[in-house]
Amino acid sequence: MATKSDTSLSSRLSPFQRFYLIVIAGFILGPFIPLLIQSFAFRWAWPDLLPGTWWLEQRGKSMMPLAWDYVLSPYSRVWEATVNTVAIGLIVTVICLAICLPAARVLAREKFRGKSAFEFFLSLPLIVPEAAIGIALLMMFIRLGLAGSYVGIIVAHLIPTIPYMVRMLTAVYQGLGRDFEEQAMILGASRWQVLRLVTLPMLLPGVVAGALFTFLVSTNIFLLTFFLGQGQIVTLPTLLFSKIAGGTLDASAAGITLIVTLPGIILLIISERFIKEEAFGKGFGN
Amino acid sequence: MTQVQLKAVRKQFGNFVAIENIDLEIASGELVALLGPSGCGKTTTLRMIAGLEQPSSGAILFDGRDVSEQPVQDRNVGMVFQRYALFPHMTVEKNVAFGPSVRGVPRAELAARLDEILDVVQLSDFRHRFPAQLSGGQMQRVAIARTLITKPSVLMMDEPLANLDTKLRGEMRRFIRDLQQRFGITTIFVTHDQVEAMELADRVAVIFNGHLAQYDTPDRLYRQPASLDVADFMGASNIVPGLLTSDDLAKTGVGEIRVAPRRTFSAGDKVQVMLRSEAIDLMTEQPATGGVPGKIVARDFFGASVSYSVDCGEHRINVSEQARRLVDVGAPVWLDIAPERVWLLRN
Repeated sequence: MATKSDTSLSSRLSPFQRFYLIVIAGFILGPFIPLLIQSFAFRWAWPDLLPGTWWLEQRGKSMMPLAWDYVLSPYSRVWEATVNTVAIGLIVTVICLAICLPAARVLAREKFRGKSAFEFFLSLPLIVPEAAIGIALLMMFIRLGLAGSYVGIIVAHLIPTIPYMVRMLTAVYQGLGRDFEEQAMILGASRWQVLRLVTLPMLLPGVVAGALFTFLVSTNIFLLTFFLGQGQIVTLPTLLFSKIAGGTLDASAAGITLIVTLPGIILLIISERFIKEEAFGKGFGN
Repeated sequence: MTQVQLKAVRKQFGNFVAIENIDLEIASGELVALLGPSGCGKTTTLRMIAGLEQPSSGAILFDGRDVSEQPVQDRNVGMVFQRYALFPHMTVEKNVAFGPSVRGVPRAELAARLDEILDVVQLSDFRHRFPAQLSGGQMQRVAIARTLITKPSVLMMDEPLANLDTKLRGEMRRFIRDLQQRFGITTIFVTHDQVEAMELADRVAVIFNGHLAQYDTPDRLYRQPASLDVADFMGASNIVPGLLTSDDLAKTGVGEIRVAPRRTFSAGDKVQVMLRSEAIDLMTEQPATGGVPGKIVARDFFGASVSYSVDCGEHRINVSEQARRLVDVGAPVWLDIAPERVWLLRN
């Protein structure tokens, strides 16, 4: 059924449309190709287009591809970094939601003096270079004793994520009329019941999208983590940087890079299915 | 069965006065419409009765008990929103069961009440559907069922017929009327449509700019409006200025019109004379007495009824009648109207 509709769809595409699709796919998937190749290389020297020696040819010397052997070994600290990254990402997402849900509600529904100025300043953290924020924060955090701590990193991660989240949730709240919540209240629901049974389920697609985005941004922040972690807290981006800081992408760095993408990919797949099911109202409220 | 009373209720948003000292008494089991143009404060009034807004001053009483400060959850009212506000992520059944389940009604009782109410609104076959899979009329019935299952003391509706097409409108009108009489529930609804108000309500409260302009039965509102504004809003087309030459005769630009004597008017008063277009008899031959001569200048045929524009003296008078006959444009005619159907208004 699916393949049938796929073929009927592709047969209708003009060569131009196909060309653009391939270009887009190339831009999205292209960066992964050298990484994949590198992670299975044994020797890949400049200016060869492909590795001079593949791991497969040298498998007598090494049980596993070099990259994966290193990445999966405890020396690489990949496991520690993954746990840190995911944990920080999750905590940042939850705090970000807790701050942004009420804020978005106000921004979407109320009128107050200075609202447009407020909305403008919301984006400021995205305009100011991360390095500047990082250095300034580092000074303050050292003084406060937050440098090199999880709390410090989480606070820093909230800076670039809150503007995105507020914007996303404001748009979602604008689509949700007051009627539904008022109706629930008239029917006798308490504030908490309104939030749990009506508001959150109706906002869910937007909340999931915002949370996913926040998590992905948080797991990819390098500079702030690097400055404020003081090398004591290793996350996947900082680990990767320490590998490629020398200027070469060796096999183990390629392996780490692929690992870095994993949490995001897994989350994308989960939420994609989740949002789709929500849209049709299935599997809900039973 | 609850009697609702508004005592000098006033509502102010910032510097804007939405409602200015409204007094309103709604008898137990009565069906009342709040009618007015958009922005007149009728919805604010409804929201205050529901408890979604607090009056700035004055009091709202249910059966003589002041509920002005009571939170909406405890007021035990029902509200059907204009766009129904059905929870899109819940089935019909879950929507209808929402009220009792958040109030902690036991499962067995809830199931029984659910079956009963779904039967009343004839939606038992649709209980597992989602709102998006229902028609407009069905959605409204779900919204009504969801409200009635909580056994509200007062039922409120915001523009109950506005979103329905003509055929469904008649059906829903009868449905709401039947239901209201069957449960004997005090019902208040808001509308900007005078036809909708007259179709449904026992009494209609006309609100202009936050003031109660008239509170009366539909027929009195239609035939005997208290002011020019009300007459205009109720769709009166023929209002001509005139002078009372005696207690029962008005001199107007149309000609002399016989009126029923009224205590509040006396000879010499300047008045506005209202002639309801369907109360006018259109005659093709001059009657023995009375009869204002005129000439038909336009005819609009609506199937069951027909409407004529008649030039009479200085004014153009609109006459409508059942389409049993059709009088040609250009034909000379005489208009007659029973004195008791003529209504006088002050300027």
